[in-house]
Amino acid sequence: MASPWWKVARSEEVTSAKPLAVDIGDQPVVLWRDAQGIARALEDRCPHRRAPLSRGCIRDNGWIQCGYHGWSYDGETGRLKDIPNMKDEQKFPPVYKAAAYAVAESGGFVSVNLDQKTSAPAPVAEQTFPLGGTTVVGLSQGEWIDALFDDPGLVLNIRGVQPTPYLMSELREEDGLLVMERFCQWGKLHYPSYATAEFPITLITRTRPDTGETEVVLRDDSFRTLLTAQLAPVQAARGVTQVRWRAKLGDELKGRHALALRRKGSFEVRDAVDAAALRVLIRSASHHGQQLRDKLLSAPAVSGPSVSEPSVPAPTISAAA
Amino acid sequence: MLEVADRPASTDTDHHDAPSAPPRDLKPSMNAVNNWVPHDLVMRDSWFPLAHDHAVGKKPVRRAVYSHPFYIWREDGKAVASEFHPLEIVTRDKSPFTDARGRYPVMEHYGLIWGWFGRPEAADPAHLPSLPFLPPKGGLPKHMTATIRFDCSAPISLENLIDLTHADFLHADVVGDERSDSEQVEVFYDSETITMVRTLVNKSVAPIMKFFSGIRQPTQNVRQVIRIYLRSHCAIAYGRFSPGDDVPLFHPCTPESRDRTRMEMVMNTSNAGRMFRHVMPKAGYKVSRQDSSMTNPQSPRYMDLTPRKDLHSRFDQAGQRYRLLMMELANRQDAGDFDYRDNVGTDCSDIIGLRKELFQF
Ligand code: FES
Ligand SMILES: [Fe+2]
Repeated sequence: MASPWWKVARSEEVTSAKPLAVDIGDQPVVLWRDAQGIARALEDRCPHRRAPLSRGCIRDNGWIQCGYHGWSYDGETGRLKDIPNMKDEQKFPPVYKAAAYAVAESGGFVSVNLDQKTSAPAPVAEQTFPLGGTTVVGLSQGEWIDALFDDPGLVLNIRGVQPTPYLMSELREEDGLLVMERFCQWGKLHYPSYATAEFPITLITRTRPDTGETEVVLRDDSFRTLLTAQLAPVQAARGVTQVRWRAKLGDELKGRHALALRRKGSFEVRDAVDAAALRVLIRSASHHGQQLRDKLLSAPAVSGPSVSEPSVPAPTISAAA
Repeated sequence: MLEVADRPASTDTDHHDAPSAPPRDLKPSMNAVNNWVPHDLVMRDSWFPLAHDHAVGKKPVRRAVYSHPFYIWREDGKAVASEFHPLEIVTRDKSPFTDARGRYPVMEHYGLIWGWFGRPEAADPAHLPSLPFLPPKGGLPKHMTATIRFDCSAPISLENLIDLTHADFLHADVVGDERSDSEQVEVFYDSETITMVRTLVNKSVAPIMKFFSGIRQPTQNVRQVIRIYLRSHCAIAYGRFSPGDDVPLFHPCTPESRDRTRMEMVMNTSNAGRMFRHVMPKAGYKVSRQDSSMTNPQSPRYMDLTPRKDLHSRFDQAGQRYRLLMMELANRQDAGDFDYRDNVGTDCSDIIGLRKELFQF
């Protein structure tokens, strides 16, 4: 299994003004943009005295400079370029370097691959969604995805949208992704969903088995796409998950509820999960999901790399609408 | 016996276990500095500075050395240190570090209260570090003292101190930047101490001195000395600035626990100008927060032995030597040898280049 690309930042979060500290699991990573505007990633640990490089600064030439003793590193190779005060010898042996990670940028996300020798292709997205945000949740990535599967209302807040427990299609594999569809109502559950004949809206999620990246599509009963969102939950330190997301509204919004989505803050990833509700949430879809994910991830890599990697679909659903 | 480290810093960094760069004049033992786990070092049979004398009265104050409780108060004006609070209903066993009544050896000197951690019978005032710029009987004004805490292990705090190049970056707004015409670093050491002398010619004047000492010249010559008493984790930081002032600082790093450090700081600015005298000790608060921003995240990264080696430059010579000396001393203590092979109490004025005439007590 090739090492996955983790969407650790939104493009606008990575600048040449200030380093950005993120983590992938327990691995701290520092991100910034070099003088050419290329996003760079190094281990967030200066190999001199282990200070976090993210507490340093970015030099005009694009090197990152540790804030402790001012050692500077080149982002592409991680190699040490400069030790202050050392006027004479500024040539350092190749072992003088910080761990550099592969970085890719596409669709308004910056992705990092922890395996420097990875052969997996970097993700390519056709478009960048205008809305975006970053949310830190006190839940592990696995639990967060399970909650998304079992009750998306616990982790997402879409204005006026009330997910029901009623699944329109159970979790299943589709093109290497975990796909499911759930009926939703507008507003509070004013009548019991089990007694409802028709539902006005539906929520589709398509989740990668390796990274948990999920595309969310909200559609009305006329098959109009009301909203498309991309969620990138990345396991961070201490069992916390950082979720980066981008979203866009559909072109054709009809009805009072749908139009209300235009207002600011219509979509958000919740930064707090109702723990009491989560505790008693039945593991239904997610239980099945774990089995499916395991199956997809353990799929034999006998065939070429094009088959062993889950395909990353372009956001076709909004186009189809 | 004082040795001089004239060997250039190791280039054998063997990062990620990659083939190492060709070693230069490398003593094989120097490689051991990469096995530095300061969290594991515990020093015994030493005086540790625990409180400013003015902080202790009849009511017990709470201190610790390596998590062993020290309650300190005065009885008939005399400082006592106990592992039990006087009101405590004792349910724990007495430690081997106190006498039958649970009392530690304690002494008052240089305006500080010192507690002995180790075998009580080995406590000897002769092992008190020499601090020739502090009045032996105390009495410096309170504004020259401060208490500062670091959320890192004491050796990391001291490594930070002896590594002066970081000041040009982390403390540039206080002490100035890295610009100077020449820079020389010398290191002297014995089994109980390490002393580093850094000489800078025509260094840009520290902002704080510009403002508070009224220095007009753009540059000044600087002689900075860091002397560490390994066992007690006490350090002297002595700067001589010309033009400018003489600023000796007592910078102890008492390991209250293995990952938390208490500094009962004393800065003797009696000889500096009036403004500087009052402001400079306060700069410690700012500088220490800057240091903390690095040493705090560093600390957990030095809690376990890792095969990944640190990189070093020739400016790290003193820091590397400090690591080595601490490890040697710790090894010796692990083997049950707590003797002092070198005397820490001998007047160190000459070693630190103290302008004695300014510090007559
Ligand atoms: S720790 Fe980064 S330059 Fe020293
Ligand atoms: Fe410092």
